[in-house]
Amino acid sequence: MVTDKGVWSRLRLRLLFTGPTLFAFVAVMIVPFLYGIYLTFTNWDGISTTQSLVGFQNYGAVFKDAEFWKSFGLTLKYVLFTVVFINMLAFLLAYLLTKGLKGQSFFRAGFFLPNLLGGIVLGFIWQFIFNNVLVFLGQKMGIGLFSTSWLSDPNRAFWTLVIVAVWQYAGYMMVIYVAGLTGVPGDILEAASIDGANGWLKMTRMTIPLMVPSFIVCIFLSLQRGFMVYDVNLALTKGGPFKSTELVSMHVYQKAFLSRDYGVGQAEALVLFLIVAVITLLQVYFSKKMEVEA
Amino acid sequence: MKHVKKMKWFILSLTLILILSACSSSGGDTQSANGGQNGSAGGGIKITLLNSKSEIQPQLEEAAKAFHEANPTISLEIQPVPNGGSPFERASTLYASGNPPTMIMLDTGDVAKFKDRILDLSGEKWNADAVEHALDLTTIDGKNYAFPLAIEGYGFIYNKAVVDKAVGGSFDPSTINTTASLENLFKQIEASGKKALVVSPMDWSLGAHYFSLAYAGQDKDMTKVNAFIDNLRAGKVDLASNKVFNGLMDTFDVMAKYNIDQASPLAGTYERGPELLGKGEVGIWFMGNWAWPQISSFDTANKEYGFLPVPISNNAGDYGNQEISSAVSKRIVIDKEKSTPEQQDAAKKFLDWIVYEQQGQDFLVNKANIIPAFKNITLPAADPLGKSIQDYISRGKSEQSMSDLPADHWANVGASMQKYLAKQSDRAALAKEIEQYWTNVKE
Repeated sequence: MVTDKGVWSRLRLRLLFTGPTLFAFVAVMIVPFLYGIYLTFTNWDGISTTQSLVGFQNYGAVFKDAEFWKSFGLTLKYVLFTVVFINMLAFLLAYLLTKGLKGQSFFRAGFFLPNLLGGIVLGFIWQFIFNNVLVFLGQKMGIGLFSTSWLSDPNRAFWTLVIVAVWQYAGYMMVIYVAGLTGVPGDILEAASIDGANGWLKMTRMTIPLMVPSFIVCIFLSLQRGFMVYDVNLALTKGGPFKSTELVSMHVYQKAFLSRDYGVGQAEALVLFLIVAVITLLQVYFSKKMEVEA
Repeated sequence: MKHVKKMKWFILSLTLILILSACSSSGGDTQSANGGQNGSAGGGIKITLLNSKSEIQPQLEEAAKAFHEANPTISLEIQPVPNGGSPFERASTLYASGNPPTMIMLDTGDVAKFKDRILDLSGEKWNADAVEHALDLTTIDGKNYAFPLAIEGYGFIYNKAVVDKAVGGSFDPSTINTTASLENLFKQIEASGKKALVVSPMDWSLGAHYFSLAYAGQDKDMTKVNAFIDNLRAGKVDLASNKVFNGLMDTFDVMAKYNIDQASPLAGTYERGPELLGKGEVGIWFMGNWAWPQISSFDTANKEYGFLPVPISNNAGDYGNQEISSAVSKRIVIDKEKSTPEQQDAAKKFLDWIVYEQQGQDFLVNKANIIPAFKNITLPAADPLGKSIQDYISRGKSEQSMSDLPADHWANVGASMQKYLAKQSDRAALAKEIEQYWTNVKE
């Protein structure tokens, strides 16, 4: 139909359908991104009307910013623990809640609920729990572990971040795993049972390989959220005590808006973007290879 | 064919980008349209003020109403900076979106950053009535860019009921002028059955307020203090052997020793301070006069509170041992980019209204509990903490607060101080971290 018409009419047709979306995409994603890249080459402080190009100086500053790499290392540690724990817990919950328990939809809804709270609110709620509720209980019952606030110790404050992230996202990932689990064909599991496979064998040889697409999605989501976390970090620990739990997004933000070093902050954001993009692409690429057909 | 197809897409996207970039750079063209819209809605002039002193938001809204009644052609809208946000960050976002407020309330150190975008206010009448040094830090190349809104001060706030009981009689604040006499007071309070003090571990309090005393206490002469800062930047200061630094940290050690939260020094929150002090569970809290509304809601001392200096040595005569740190902390600037001349005039009128009209002065001093930075305003401060600071200033016992430190100073130095307070570092490490901060700081 379109092949015989001229270039212009084809372009018009395409513009009619893709134009609005393309425009929105370019306007809110591509242009700001390119402009952001431009800003990494300037010494802009975020407000002044003048800025001058400084070449690659900001990127040099990124590599010399020890705090950035420290918080990046901490973020890696955070991502490692959250990805593992979120997915283990989510899978376990999904497994238990597809067995036909009484009230299982109620439990599913309950575990999903933390996702509906905004990160800031959630952070403040948990801050109250860690600072007051647990300390009160710890002192009353003489539990040494809880008698002082977890948020005032660098190591424990890190674990509060992990605990809250797991609590927040496990329910969400659970929903994806539930969909994956119910999608595993019952007939092949039945056939395996007839062949004498026990529960463990069925799980490791049938269910998990068939659920690889769910794992890809869940691990991708938890990876990306782990790297980009900011709201809970801000509301729960504010990066404290003494900057020991400042994750990388927070550091980038502080660099740009608190230290008034917009160029370096933007360059750090770009470096972070590249690292996260590479890691998540690699994850998806390699786990795609593990997919099997039923 | 395929080649042509690719080319087409390339041209298409290029056109789109061009259109978009044209949109973003047309700020100058839309100025008049935008201004006209803002400026003449409903026949009156509409102006806005970005308020970064969230504790006076309701008072400011009331003042805006009163101002509107006195000037029916002008309506003023107060926009709050979200809680915990910095005014610089909010204002720069608003500028980036092309929608800045007519007036912005900034911290002193931020004003210089905005100088290309705000009005020169040197010609205003109130310049002549401002108190000494109030305009120094916002005057750039001989032009003053900002209106000084409030003087704020800080030090040890004492609850008179508690300390009276501790010393057995009426407490005289002038007896506390050395680290030893302060420690003695702490001991007396503990002996009377109360806890001596609470140290609130927020990074801004420890970094921007407490530690800044180490700079300001170097000398009475601000030029020498500035020279000290320059030496810090150049890495030429050995803090560990600095007398003022060591004296201040000796006092800090004493504070840590008598701190009610000693077991878990970093767990405290700001909200805990006014409650403990107001209820009389502790005698002393290191904080400033802005905390009055919170203290008064727990008040058990019949509104009798006052300030003690933070001693930095055991020699009563040393500079800093009898002085309270105070300075103009909040400034109002007027936008010149997107505001129409009418709006700018209306904004100037509002500033004049605060300084010269009885209603405006009443708002400033009695409603908002602000210590004014103008000589012509003779109303006495409405709250005991403001009164105490006014008293120190009038006796010449005030030390300039460091209000133009680098923007990330409080966060970084505050973190180092928290580490020290939690005994995760020692004084040598603290000195080193702070020296390092200064040698790496931007500008």
